[in-house]
Amino acid sequence: MENPGRTREILTARRAGLVGCSRCGRVHAPGAGTCLRCGSRLASRDRLSLQRVWAWLAAGIVVYIPANIYPMLLTTQFGKTSENTIVGGVIDLVEHHAYGIALIVFTASVLIPIGKFIAIAYLALSVKSAVMIRGHGRQRLYEVVEFVGRWSMIDVFVVAILAALVQFDFVAAVNPGIAAVSFALSVAFTMLSAQSFDPKTIWDAYEADDT
Amino acid sequence: MTDPRPAELDIAPARLSPWRNLSFVWLVPILALAVSLGVAWKAYSERGVLIEITFQNASGVTPGETTIRYRDVAIGTVEEVGFTADLSHVVVSARIDKDVAPYLDESTEFWVVRPQVSTRGISGLSTVLSGVYIEGAWDESIGTARLSFPGLEAPPLVQPGRGGKRITLRTTDGTMLSDGAPVFFRGIEVGRIERPRLTVSGDSILADAFVEAPHDRRLTTATRFWDTSGFAVSFGASGLTLDVESLASLVAGGVEFDDIYEGGEPIGPGHVFDIFAEEADARRSLFARSVANAVSVSVPFDDTISGLSPGAAVEYGGLEVGEVSAISAEVTETEFGPEVRLLANLAIEPSLLGLPRSAGKDETLDFLEAAVAQGLRARLATANLFSAALIVELVTLDDPPAATFERNAEPLPVLPSVPSELPDFTATAEGVLERINALPIEDLLQQVIATLASVEDLARAESTLAVPQSAAALLEDTRALVNDEATKALPGELRAAVADLRAMVAELKESGAVEDLATAIERASAAADSIATASAEVPALVDDLRAVAAKVNGLEAEELMASATRVLDSADALIGTDEARALPPALTGALEEVRTALSELRAGGAVENTNATLASARDAAAAVAEAAASLPELSARLERLVGQAEALVAAYGDRSEFNADTLAALREVRSAARAVAQLARTIERNPNALIMGR
Repeated sequence: MENPGRTREILTARRAGLVGCSRCGRVHAPGAGTCLRCGSRLASRDRLSLQRVWAWLAAGIVVYIPANIYPMLLTTQFGKTSENTIVGGVIDLVEHHAYGIALIVFTASVLIPIGKFIAIAYLALSVKSAVMIRGHGRQRLYEVVEFVGRWSMIDVFVVAILAALVQFDFVAAVNPGIAAVSFALSVAFTMLSAQSFDPKTIWDAYEADDT
Repeated sequence: MTDPRPAELDIAPARLSPWRNLSFVWLVPILALAVSLGVAWKAYSERGVLIEITFQNASGVTPGETTIRYRDVAIGTVEEVGFTADLSHVVVSARIDKDVAPYLDESTEFWVVRPQVSTRGISGLSTVLSGVYIEGAWDESIGTARLSFPGLEAPPLVQPGRGGKRITLRTTDGTMLSDGAPVFFRGIEVGRIERPRLTVSGDSILADAFVEAPHDRRLTTATRFWDTSGFAVSFGASGLTLDVESLASLVAGGVEFDDIYEGGEPIGPGHVFDIFAEEADARRSLFARSVANAVSVSVPFDDTISGLSPGAAVEYGGLEVGEVSAISAEVTETEFGPEVRLLANLAIEPSLLGLPRSAGKDETLDFLEAAVAQGLRARLATANLFSAALIVELVTLDDPPAATFERNAEPLPVLPSVPSELPDFTATAEGVLERINALPIEDLLQQVIATLASVEDLARAESTLAVPQSAAALLEDTRALVNDEATKALPGELRAAVADLRAMVAELKESGAVEDLATAIERASAAADSIATASAEVPALVDDLRAVAAKVNGLEAEELMASATRVLDSADALIGTDEARALPPALTGALEEVRTALSELRAGGAVENTNATLASARDAAAAVAEAAASLPELSARLERLVGQAEALVAAYGDRSEFNADTLAALREVRSAARAVAQLARTIERNPNALIMGR
């Protein structure tokens, strides 16, 4: 881990009295509204960043609940329709001894989303209060969350592909359930939540310590 | 250039109210929450009504998979399969759509649809792949909603809400009715029969049937049902006919109906129809009795009822008013210990007794009670002369043994009976005498007289004037024979003898010396046999006469006179013989003896004379037999006479007056012979009749 002491030697844009563009990195004099190079809106620190994180996170959690209660897949075989929720599907797979697939589905559909909720919440909390993991660790956590988030969509893709391919009328048919939509929304909301997080705020705490 | 000094940046955040600071992104979770809650609320509010259906077993019913269907549309799913508290039934819990739940009321029926192969075909084949489902049916009206229903083991015959009429069919033979057997109208299946059941009394079988709309309009009071089960083979003028209604009815049975006359009244639901065995019976039944309103009474019989069977007629004054519905035995306690009484149940149709059509049980019983008080009794009688079958006769006796109509007896009102007169020997003897009395002896003699009158006419005809004088003499003799006092007296004598015999029988009834009388009767029987033998020869005679008539065409004029003479000589000789003359007096003598015997009997009066009397009767019978024995001889002579007459006639030409006269005479003779033959036939046909009296 980085030595926290070395951070003091870094001159941030804010400490230098400038505003850095978060997209292209050009610094401007304070008071400039838009970036002179790329035209994006300039703000030294987005005051609403945390609010947006919390809001998207809340939305993600809210839609994650029906995603687990309602059936993900409606499988029709010889006129018999069975409904599978995410966890029910994993249990089915385990019962059929498909442990590998069960593990993938469980990871992509349960572990990752829930881990993301926890990670984002931790990051958002860490901005305001003292936490155990220092800045570099949190920075890496943020990067992982942003990278992994999109892979949760794998579940939704599987459902979409199955629903598109398996349509044999009476013999077999697969249709997406309500949970597929909610799960896709949940993944999208948590990705937005992660994006709304301003990693600069991770370091502000150390800056505040110096002053 | 100086180093650019970083300007002091005011980093103090503006103290804005937290509400003004809120990000619009917060709308997203709120919206998501609202939508989620909305979906949840919708799912909850649309959640169906939980009902319970009880089955004997739940084979194939799977929780979460088995659907509940109405008109083949899924309206719910089985959620749970459990047991009743005592494990006697399976309880299937199912969630039913809210929309249909209010319709589940008293009329609702549920049953499990499984693949089924029956005589009616194969059903539920789709469930082989998809698994069983529970089908429900109910009517279109919203009633008092229920949540618990008994399930049916099989699809109901009639699903609630289907138009049609439910009727009841009645029969005495349940073999043709099976559960689900079809009801046909002119060969088209229009309904089904439900499971047949026995009535409480067990003497008939009822089966509910449902006739679908619009065919139920055909059901009126003019409708008759008949059995079409199995097949019918008939052999008639049209050849051999095999009649099979349908394969289904061949196996499962079935009934057909039709209106057998126009203008029947519409019927209400639950109307009871009888099933006839055949269409022809049904069509004949228009005026026939129906057991629908029959009033049952039971009759105890002291004598044996062998020969009486269910279905035997009940007659009142010769009119059939009902039938014997059942025969049973009953043990009654008397002071001499238990005693078995034989009981016959009679089904009496009030309308056939002359009571109004609307007369019910009470009116009929009132009538019977009054009739019994006036002497109405039941007794056994033979159905006819040649069968041992018995019927029950309702007779009004002038002086009946005291008895009452036990109206309130259990299980059926009891109608008193009197001993049958069947085994009464004296009654039979009386019948014999009545028979003899009824024999057409008088007719026979009349015929003979007419014949001889014809012969006389013939002799007086101009064409026979040439016939020798002896012909006239012969005819004189003939007339003398016919006019003989003895001959004329014969019928009178017979009648007198019969009257005396009857009187004797009446007395014998008192004395009771039956055995000797039996011997006498046997003698009489032997006499009758002799008469029969004598009569047997008469047809041959008739044949000969016919042959004579046939030969009329062959003419030999030359031989005419000679033949005529020969014939008349022979006739003269015949009539002149002592035997011919003696015959009527012999008969008269025999009858005289009988009468003497009888008058002696009557004079003696009492039992001590019985033996002598019976001996005399026996002698008399023997004399009658003797007299009868000479009948064949007479017959033979007559035959010979005819043979000669045949030759005579053969000699005559056609169209001659003599010929015509002769033919007329022969016709007379033939009808006389016919009368004799008739007598013979009467005796031959029922020798029993002489003995048995009926």
